[in-house]
Amino acid sequence: MAPPRLSARSITKRFPGVTALREVSFDLKAGEIHALCGENGAGKSTLIKVLSGIHPAGSYEGELGIDGAPAAFESVADAEAAGIAVIYQELALVPEMTVAENIFLGAEPVSGLLIDWDRVYRDSKALLERFGLELDCSAPTKSLGMGRRQLIEILKALRKETRILILDEPTAALSEAEVASLLDILRDLRSRGISCVYISHRLDEVFALADRVTVLRDGSSVTTLDVAAADKASVIRHMVGREITDLYPRRAPAPGETLLRVEDLSVSGPEGEGALEGVSFSAAAGEVLGIGGLMGSGRSELLMHIFGAWGRRTAGTVELSGRPLAAGPRACLDRGLALVTEDRKRCGLFLDQEVGFNLSLSAVGGLTRHGLIDEQAEHRANESAAASLRVKAPSLETRVGTLSGGNQQKVVIGKALMTSPRVVFLDEPTRGIDVGAKIEVYEIVNRLTAEGKAVVLVSSELPELMGMSDRIVMLHEGRVGGVFKRGEADQERLLAAAMGHAGSPAQGGKG
Amino acid sequence: MNGKVELRDFSLLIALVLIGGFFALMSPQFLSARNMAMLTIELSITAVLALGMLLVILPGHIDLSVGSGVGLVGGIASVLVFQAQWPAAPAMGLALAVGALLWLLMGFVIVREKMPAFIITLGGLLVFKGAFWLVIRNATVPVAPGGETNLYAALTTYYLPPWAGGLLMLACFAGLAGAKVRSNLRRKAFGFEAEDWEMAFLKLFVTGQLMLLFTVVMNQFRGIPLTAVILGAVALAVTVVTEHTPFGRYLYAIGGNEEAAVISGVPVNRVIIAAYGILGAIVALTGFMQTAYSGASTTTVGDLMELDAIAACVIGGTSLKGGRGSTSGVLFGALIMAVLLNGMTLLAVSPEFKFIARGAVLALAVWMDVRLSRD
Repeated sequence: MAPPRLSARSITKRFPGVTALREVSFDLKAGEIHALCGENGAGKSTLIKVLSGIHPAGSYEGELGIDGAPAAFESVADAEAAGIAVIYQELALVPEMTVAENIFLGAEPVSGLLIDWDRVYRDSKALLERFGLELDCSAPTKSLGMGRRQLIEILKALRKETRILILDEPTAALSEAEVASLLDILRDLRSRGISCVYISHRLDEVFALADRVTVLRDGSSVTTLDVAAADKASVIRHMVGREITDLYPRRAPAPGETLLRVEDLSVSGPEGEGALEGVSFSAAAGEVLGIGGLMGSGRSELLMHIFGAWGRRTAGTVELSGRPLAAGPRACLDRGLALVTEDRKRCGLFLDQEVGFNLSLSAVGGLTRHGLIDEQAEHRANESAAASLRVKAPSLETRVGTLSGGNQQKVVIGKALMTSPRVVFLDEPTRGIDVGAKIEVYEIVNRLTAEGKAVVLVSSELPELMGMSDRIVMLHEGRVGGVFKRGEADQERLLAAAMGHAGSPAQGGKG
Repeated sequence: MNGKVELRDFSLLIALVLIGGFFALMSPQFLSARNMAMLTIELSITAVLALGMLLVILPGHIDLSVGSGVGLVGGIASVLVFQAQWPAAPAMGLALAVGALLWLLMGFVIVREKMPAFIITLGGLLVFKGAFWLVIRNATVPVAPGGETNLYAALTTYYLPPWAGGLLMLACFAGLAGAKVRSNLRRKAFGFEAEDWEMAFLKLFVTGQLMLLFTVVMNQFRGIPLTAVILGAVALAVTVVTEHTPFGRYLYAIGGNEEAAVISGVPVNRVIIAAYGILGAIVALTGFMQTAYSGASTTTVGDLMELDAIAACVIGGTSLKGGRGSTSGVLFGALIMAVLLNGMTLLAVSPEFKFIARGAVLALAVWMDVRLSRD
């Protein structure tokens, strides 16, 4: 039997005070897609850094092997020379450059002193064609969607002699259709003999794509399973170390009075383009209203607009507790509407600041005495928020940037809840956080509705939408494509509505 | 936010001791009571302006126009006093209002038209310089009519009587000690890491000794200068504003992540305009002190002061990207800049080398900052 293309034997990596990896072993066969699963903090990123030479040989114990021969990477360049390429969650593309410029960034072919642009474009075109991508390689990268950009990043890796591709959460920002095409490309690469390490929180993808899956927990490799012989429940069990009986623990109280009413809302975007048209919905006390739709359907824009932070209203009304809602985040917060945004790093957190600073920021204006912040009142409020949301941080003075994704998300939610809202908008509240933290977020949703608040939940994951919502509004290109009650929606009908076939739900499956 | 001792705090102290030691060795006058008094006045002027600058750098903005503004506002007051024969108080009041209004206007343009602060205040630098020269008609305009003294001139010529200075320092020390004990008790009650009492006592003891030394040295000359009292008041006010008010939190929030600040309900535009407004008032105050220190408005008053203010902030650990910085750091940065300038003047270093040294120290400080924060 051929030696594995890449092997890691008993890798132990210590940081001051923490052992990030403990005797981790796994191997990657030629032409295999091998998934790595584990909760945040399980050691996945550290393992990638070891494999890619960011943590140089000698800074960890254990050994790496390439095709059976021991390998010691002193640097990223060494790992690249061995044929390893890593594609990170945050893409390393320059948006202003063209597709071809990005593909050859840092390795521009030259003739003499000048860049050989003909070759850049010729080779880029050939590369695109080889993978059946209909893309203009002279188009600026910023004009492309996230999915296409992800593919360009992969092409950039394949331009070199890459035999091992490591993808870190490649689908986190992609729509369903983009995910599907990415998976096709990866399968194609596998058939060409390229091995792939695939890291994802989304088990559906892992099961649709991977050959084997290695589960990491608390820095150790727990098990490696053949995907064909495994099921999701057992992978989750290995990841969290305990049985999870109910992934979506929704407990719906009887809905109360209508808190939020949106009537016939039309909104145009920053460039004057129509973004939303004639959207109406309402949310009642104790209710979770789910909002779904494909990428670009206007889900997030809808929330951001109601919150007064996006676009211009051309028609329609928004009422909170029976009175029209004034524009602007401050006015919304004061009236009892809070928003937890989709991208917590970009518009939710102050990463360099302490947990307490982040938690109290939205409410701190009301925690004053004689114009000065009442530090005791602030501290009490922060402590009770951190405790009730179970934020795991060494102290309220810990920098938020050092917390895990799930705990960061809880801090963002805590910041919103500290304003004592009656209606809470949650935009993709579980994106990029692990299973355990997801369930904690769902429990927070349950608690909010039990307290008589209304929750509007935007999600791109249909199972989450179906599992946690009492009613679901599907958006299609800025309009309401269909409204479903809990239990009356299945994936096919929701997707059909998202694609604009809601008028005749019976044929939804064909969408 | 407080109570933590970092390597870079010591590096500043070491730099200060080295620079100060060098000047003390090269020029015996450096440590004289008279020079220490002059140094205190120069420090006060630089530091007050730098503290104002901190308010706009924290939210990630900048102000290049403060140097010209110092000249202009000081010049308006001089002209009113010397040529229009106004009493000093209303003249300074009007000039201060002009300063605050001009800066409110710049802040308004920056947020409303979404123009980079760099450009607007670069424009301000040139416009205010021109306006300044127009106001004083390129002449020398004294701050007080011939030979007399007034409130304007007194800003840098008045010294507290020794007993008053001593009492004031005692009161300051009591306040400082009280605040320290209170904050320590509170941190313990909150369950945060707090200094143990011995360490806190030791720090207070050293601070007290330094304050005593300062008082004794100042009293050997004419007493504690009025400008030092002004600096103390401005430093206290800026500390309270940045650390204990929602407005201060918002400054840090905007500099840390403006988008998140908007979503968190921070009234970003109003906060920025207010920060520029306060800076305008501080520019006016600095203008009065700097002009009074020169004795008259001349075309060069305020030249390059914006760079000293920015340098003091940066040396004191303020991030030009925003979101990081403290009053204590800025005071330290201003002290280093002031010692450097004062020492070079004493040594009669030619202006050419003064510029080079100032630039080199700034670059060195930033380099140190980058190195030390990369742990």
